[in-house]
Amino acid sequence: MLACLCAVLWHLPAVPALNRTGDPGPGPSIQKTYDLTRYLEHQLRSLAGTYLNYLGPPFNEPDFNPPRLGAETLPRATVNLDVWRSLNDKLRLTQNYEAYSHLLCYLRGLDRQAATAELRRSLAHFCTSLQGLLGSIAGVMAALGYPLPQPLPGTEPTRAPGPAHSDFLQKMDDFWLLKELQTWLWRSAKDFNRLKKKTQPPPAAVTLHLEAHGF
Amino acid sequence: MALFSAFQTTFLLALLSLKTYQSEVLSEPLSLAPESLEVSIDSARQCLHLQWSVHNLAYHQELKMVFQIEISRIKTSNVIWVENYSTTVKRNQVLRWSWESKLPLECAKHSVRMRGAVDDAQVPELRFWSNWTSWEEVDVQSSLGHDPLFVFPKDKLVEEGSNVTICYVSRSHQNNISCYLEGVRMHGEQLDPNVCVFHLKNVPFIRETGTNIYCKADRGDVIKGIVLFVSKVFEETKDFSCETRDLKTLNCTWAPGSDAGLLTQLSQSYTLFESFSGKKTLCKHKSWCNWQVPPDSQEMYNFTLTAENYLRKRSVHLLFNLTHRVHPMAPFNVFVKNVSATNATMTWKVHSVGNYSTLLCQIELYGEGKVIQKQNVSVKVNGKHLMKKLEPSTEYAAQVRCANANHFWKWSEWTRRNFTTAEAAPSEAPDVWRNVKSVQGHCVVTLFWKPLSKLQANGKILFYNVVLENLDRPSTLKLLSIPAPANGTELTLDQCSYQIRVTANNSVGTSPASVIAVSGDPGNKEVEEERVRGTEDGFCLSWKPQPGDVTGYVVEWCERPGDPLCDLQWKNLGPDTTSTVVSSDAFRPGVRYNFRIYGISTERIPYLLEKKTGYSQELVPSDNPQVLMSNLTSYSFTLSWKDYAAESQPGFVRGYSLYLKSKAARCLPGSEKAVLSDDSICCKYKIDNPKQKTFVVENLQPASFYEFFLTPYTSVGEGPQGAFTKVTTPDEYSHILIRVILPMIFSILLIMILCYLKSQWMKEKCYPDIPDPYKSSVLSLIKSKENPRLTIMNVKDCIPDAIEVINKQEGTRKSLTETEPTKPTYLYLLPTEKSHSGPGPCICFENFTYNQAASDSASCGHVPVTPKAQPQLGLLTSSENGPKALGKNYVNSLGEIPAGETNLNYVSQLASPMCGDKSSLPTNPPEPALCSEYKTQMAIPMGLASPPSITLLDEGEHDH
Repeated sequence: MLACLCAVLWHLPAVPALNRTGDPGPGPSIQKTYDLTRYLEHQLRSLAGTYLNYLGPPFNEPDFNPPRLGAETLPRATVNLDVWRSLNDKLRLTQNYEAYSHLLCYLRGLDRQAATAELRRSLAHFCTSLQGLLGSIAGVMAALGYPLPQPLPGTEPTRAPGPAHSDFLQKMDDFWLLKELQTWLWRSAKDFNRLKKKTQPPPAAVTLHLEAHGF
Repeated sequence: MALFSAFQTTFLLALLSLKTYQSEVLSEPLSLAPESLEVSIDSARQCLHLQWSVHNLAYHQELKMVFQIEISRIKTSNVIWVENYSTTVKRNQVLRWSWESKLPLECAKHSVRMRGAVDDAQVPELRFWSNWTSWEEVDVQSSLGHDPLFVFPKDKLVEEGSNVTICYVSRSHQNNISCYLEGVRMHGEQLDPNVCVFHLKNVPFIRETGTNIYCKADRGDVIKGIVLFVSKVFEETKDFSCETRDLKTLNCTWAPGSDAGLLTQLSQSYTLFESFSGKKTLCKHKSWCNWQVPPDSQEMYNFTLTAENYLRKRSVHLLFNLTHRVHPMAPFNVFVKNVSATNATMTWKVHSVGNYSTLLCQIELYGEGKVIQKQNVSVKVNGKHLMKKLEPSTEYAAQVRCANANHFWKWSEWTRRNFTTAEAAPSEAPDVWRNVKSVQGHCVVTLFWKPLSKLQANGKILFYNVVLENLDRPSTLKLLSIPAPANGTELTLDQCSYQIRVTANNSVGTSPASVIAVSGDPGNKEVEEERVRGTEDGFCLSWKPQPGDVTGYVVEWCERPGDPLCDLQWKNLGPDTTSTVVSSDAFRPGVRYNFRIYGISTERIPYLLEKKTGYSQELVPSDNPQVLMSNLTSYSFTLSWKDYAAESQPGFVRGYSLYLKSKAARCLPGSEKAVLSDDSICCKYKIDNPKQKTFVVENLQPASFYEFFLTPYTSVGEGPQGAFTKVTTPDEYSHILIRVILPMIFSILLIMILCYLKSQWMKEKCYPDIPDPYKSSVLSLIKSKENPRLTIMNVKDCIPDAIEVINKQEGTRKSLTETEPTKPTYLYLLPTEKSHSGPGPCICFENFTYNQAASDSASCGHVPVTPKAQPQLGLLTSSENGPKALGKNYVNSLGEIPAGETNLNYVSQLASPMCGDKSSLPTNPPEPALCSEYKTQMAIPMGLASPPSITLLDEGEHDH
C-alpha cells in the first residue's frame, strides 16, 4: 500500500491533470475488458474441446503437450514474472492488442478449414467475441491516451501451409493456437485485473488520470 | 506395304548377319541391353520411376523386347521384386516403368537393376537375356535432413480397407521410440536399428480430419506424426441415363456414389466420353451433364461416364439411338373450346421432335377429382379432341401429355385446363309432398319439395313454379313463383279439391312437373297405430298392398318428433312396393318416430293407409311414475299411477315392476325375490300389462312396516332406481274397536240426553223425593197441639249398640242388572231377624272408646233404612252431602217409625259410599280395600252406654 502511494507520488509530476470533474476514467472500460476475457476464457474451453476432438487423438488428450514446433509465429503469452511485473500499462496493453490481432487472424484460418457447420458456427461466434475483445482493448488504450499499434506491412499472419507443411504439423499448429489463445486469455485477465487495481479511484473519490508517457 | 515389310526384314537379317559376323570376329556376343537406367522417386505415391533406353537398335528398327527388372531392399541380395516388362522398343527410345512400393521409400534403401531380351518372333535367334545393368541405388534417407525422427509416409491417402505400412526413421540410437495410432501404442518390426516398420491392415474410416499416427522419443522433446487419410470406398455411379427433349441437347443424369468422407483431399470428377464422335466433356455437376447434339444428326451414341477420384476410377457405358430417347416437352397452346352442355373440344400444340416423328398424346378428363374419360390421340403438330357425354353445368378438368409414338421413352409433363359445361333444363321433376290442415274452414296446405340433385338440376335452380288447379272448376288456374332456394310453401285453400303442379326452373328451362292433389277430405282417418322395431340400419316398414289403383306410396315421418318444426321427411315408393327401409342419420336412440304410410291414388290424392311407430333403439325408462297409495288396511293397500305418461318414455313401456320390502323372509304369492342394485333383497311384483295403472298389494301382515317402489320397464330394462315409499299396515283390532266403541259412546250420549230431557220423569220413577219430617205439616200439628218438647230425633243422637258383621263375598262382582234392587244392602247395626237378609258386603266394628268429640264428624252416613219403605237409596257422592241427605231424606222422626221397626241400622261414617252402595254403576267397581276395615265410631260415656235412650235434637242442630 505504501509502495503504491509512493509510486503515485513519484509519478505525480508526470500527471498532466488532476481533475475532480467526476469523469469515471478508464476504470469501467477495464472492468468490462476484464469481464470479457473471463467470458472468452469460458467460451474457449467449450470450443477447444470440440475442435480438439475434431482433430482426434492425441490432440484431445488432456496430457498431450507437444513441442512448440512450427508455431513460432504465434505470439507467446508466457513471460517471466519479473518482466511481466515491470511492464508499463502501455506496453501491457499493446502486447495484448497485438497478440489478439494475430490470434484472430489465425483463428479465422481455422474457421475456413473446419468441416462441420456446427464447428464453423462456434468458431465464427468466438471470432466475433474476440473481435469485441480487441475493440475493448483499443477502447481502454484510447481512454488512456495510447495510440494503437500499427501493423507492419507484410507481417500479416497467414495460415497457408506450404507443401512441406504436413497435415500433422498443421494439426499441431491448430492445437498450439488454441492453447496459446487460452494462455493469453488467462494472462489478459491478470493484466486487466492489475490495470483495474491501478486505476481504481481512492476512497476520497479523487480520480487520478494517469498518463505515463514513456515510462 | 507388304513389299516394304519384306524389304525391311531382308535388311534386318542382313544387318544381323553382319553383326554376327562381327561378333564372331570380335568374340563378343551381340545383345540388346537396357542402357542409361535412371531411377527417380515419387515420395507422395511411394513410386520408383525407372527410365532407360536401348541404343543398339538400328534406325527405325522396332523390336518387341522384354525387360526383367529386379528391386532389392536394404541390400542388393534382398531382392523383393522381379518383374518382366514387355514392350516394343525403338532405337534410343526412352522407356519408362514404375513400381509402387508398399513400404515408404524413405524407410529403406532400394536398389534396381534390369536386363533385356528380344521377344520378337521375327528374330527368334536373339531371344536371350542381355547382361544386367549395374544396381541403381535409391537412398532417400540420406537426403532427409538432420531431424532426429521421421515418420513415413507423409499424409497418405488410402481407401477404407486398405493395408498400409508405416515406418519411422530415427537418427539417434539411444532413444527409445514409441509410436501411437489414434493414441494407442503400436508395435512394429525393426527393419534396421534406426528404422521400424508398422503394418496396418484393413484401415477403417475414422474421421474427416484423418487418422493421427505419431511417434515420440522417450527422451528429449521429439514428436513426429503423420495423418493417414482414409476415404470411404468410391462407389460406382448408378442410374446413368441420357435423353433429349428437343433433339438438340442430350441431358445425361446419374446418381453419384456416397461421399468420400474427407475434407478436400478427394475431389471427384466426372467425364463424359462419346466413342463414335470421340468427343469428351468434363462435367461441371456431380449428377448431370449436358451434351450438345451435333447438327449432322448422329443417331447412335455410345457414352462412357467416368467417375474418378485420387484413388479410384469407375466407368459406366450407355449405347442408345437418339430418337429412342425423346422426352417431349409439355404440350402448349392448350384450349378448351365450343363448350356446350354435353360436349367440349380440346386443342393443343406439340413441339416438333424431328421431321417425320409422330407423337402419341393422352387426354384425361377429370370430374369431381376422378378420371372419367381417357383417350389417346396421334398428333403431328396440332392436336384436337372432342369430349362427349359431359354433364351440364359441371366443372371439369382436361389435361394432355405426349410421348414419342414410334419409340416410347417417356411421357411429357401434363398441361391442364379447367372448364365448366353450359346449363340445361332440369331433367327431373322435384319430389313434392304436402301436409294438409284444416284451419277455420280452410284447407291449409303446406308444400314441401326436395332440392334437385346436381345431375337433375343441370344448372342453378332460380325459382319454383307452383300451379294450383281447382278440380271443381278446371278452368281456374293460379300460378305462384317461389324463388330458390326455398324448399316449400304454405297455401291456404278453400275446401275445394285442388291439383298442384310444381316445376323447378333454371336459366335454360323448366323441369317436368310434379303433380299432387288435395281433396276436401284431408285423409287423416283413424288408423290403428302399429309398433315397429328399429335397428341401426333404420326402420323396416311394410304395409298391405292396396287392392285398388295405386300409383305409388309415400312414407312420411318427422326427424325431430318433439320439435314444432318436425323436419318432415318423406319417401316416394312405387306402386308395387309394399315395404321399405327408412334410415336416417338423424335418428336418435330413445326417440319415438311415427311413420305414416300413404297410398297415392290415380288422381294423385294421398290417403292414409297405416301408421307405424317405433324407436331406432329403445332405452330404459327415463323416469318413474308418481305412485299414490290408497285403501290401506291391515292386509293390503292399493297403488295407482294414472298420471304416468308412458308414451313419452324412450322406449315402449312393457309393464311395471313393483318392489316391496318387508321384514318377512318369504315373498308373498304373486311376487318373487329380487336383488336390488344396492344388494338388498326384496320382493318383486311384475305387472305385465302396461295399461294397468293400479295395483293392490295384498296378503300383508297387520301392524307391519313395508316399503315399496314402482318402476316401468321397456325391452331394454327398468327405469331408474328411486326411493322406496314407507307404509305401515294398521292393527287388526283397532277397526273393530272403532266399530264398537263409537256406537256405544253414541248410545250413552243418547241415553244421557234422554235422561236429561226426561230427568223429572226419571226422578219420579226412580228416586222420588223422601219427605222431610221437619217440613211435614204433621210436625207443626204436633208442636202446637200436644207436646212442645216433642221433637224429631236426630240421627246423630243414635247410639249404636250392636255391630253386625256381614260377610262379604270376595270376587263377586255383580253388574247392575244382577243387583237385586229390592234388597237393601246396608249394615244393620241392630240386627233383627227380619232385616238380616244374609251376609253384608262390609264389616264394621263398634268402638266404645270413641268420645263425643269424635262423633261430630259428619262423615258417617247414617242411613236409617226401612227395607219396606225405602228399598232404593240414592248415591252418596260426597261426605258433605251425606248429613244433608241424611237430614233430609233418611232421618225420620221418632213418631214416624213404626212400632217394631224402631231399631236403627247403623252405617259406618267413614266408609265410602261404595261400601254399601250396591247400586253403583258397573264402570266403578267397588274398591276391595274399603271392605273389612276398622271404623272409628264415636266415644260414649259409660253411663250412657247401657240404657239406650233417644234424645231429640234441637231443630237448629240437624242442619250443619
